[in-house]
Amino acid sequence: MKGDAVRGHLDGLLLAVLEPGPLHGYAIIAAVQERSGGALELRTGTMYPALNRLERVGLLRSSWQASGERRRRCYELTDAGRRSLAEERASWREFTAVIGAVLDPRPAT
Amino acid sequence: MTAPIEAHVAALEAVLRGPARAKARMLREARDGLADAAEALEGEGLPADQAARRAVGDFGPVDEVAPAFQQELTIVQARHTARVVVLVVPCLLACWRLAGEGRALQVTAAHLGGVAAAAALLAAAALAATGVLARRLPTPRHLPIMVAWAGTAAGAALGAGALALVAASVLAADWPVTAALAALTLVFHTRVAASARACRRCARPAVTPGRSAGR
Repeated sequence: MKGDAVRGHLDGLLLAVLEPGPLHGYAIIAAVQERSGGALELRTGTMYPALNRLERVGLLRSSWQASGERRRRCYELTDAGRRSLAEERASWREFTAVIGAVLDPRPAT
Repeated sequence: MTAPIEAHVAALEAVLRGPARAKARMLREARDGLADAAEALEGEGLPADQAARRAVGDFGPVDEVAPAFQQELTIVQARHTARVVVLVVPCLLACWRLAGEGRALQVTAAHLGGVAAAAALLAAAALAATGVLARRLPTPRHLPIMVAWAGTAAGAALGAGALALVAASVLAADWPVTAALAALTLVFHTRVAASARACRRCARPAVTPGRSAGR
């Protein structure tokens, strides 16, 4: 899947992989790639500014954490981030249901 | 192993403009992420040098990823400038009002104060638009440059105010108060003008695609 198609959903993807718990930059990218089975062609470089933006608008918060012998900036969802993720999920389900019903109609039972 | 990574981060650093702390933090994060990615690829059996180059390739060429970094840095700078204007202007207007009662200076202060107050209102709106409101509303592309010019206008108004106060202090009976106010205004003018200049520099469209092809 090309980057352009994914870009509009990048925020949702980043919030979703942080739902289970805090992660640092590379772990977030790896989680997005793993969940998508490597099908998303995203420049990993574009994700760092996106994380900074999500923190600025209060959907994420970050702190320095020791990870092995290095220190990494770890991100976690804020309450607003959780609400935003829930909204994103709901609207995505609605969108796919509507488009799917038109593109791929099922015969009436 | 880190040579391609260091070179890539240095190439990114060279094209980015913005507040030093925010820039250093973003670059450090990118460098750490690249090192982690290379380490993971090495773990999969790639030779160190190849792993570093793959990590850099996945990160994206500088001319492709720099605009996203610059956009965020520009907004950080615009928020700094907006915060300075929002804090300084009301404080100074209150001082002018207290010290300027019943003088010809009042007319000048009213005009310059009006300009500065309008700039402060715009700056406050910009802070809101790039903060919590940005969760739902797209941030206007020209907002940082508007903040830069609002800051410039506020800086100019404070500069003119400082001059007017200096002139007034020559004639005033209680000249030490007016002179002190002039000095305070000058200090704030310097602060606001410097921040506005940094914001103008940041908001200038200069990350030109293709010019910096760091790989």
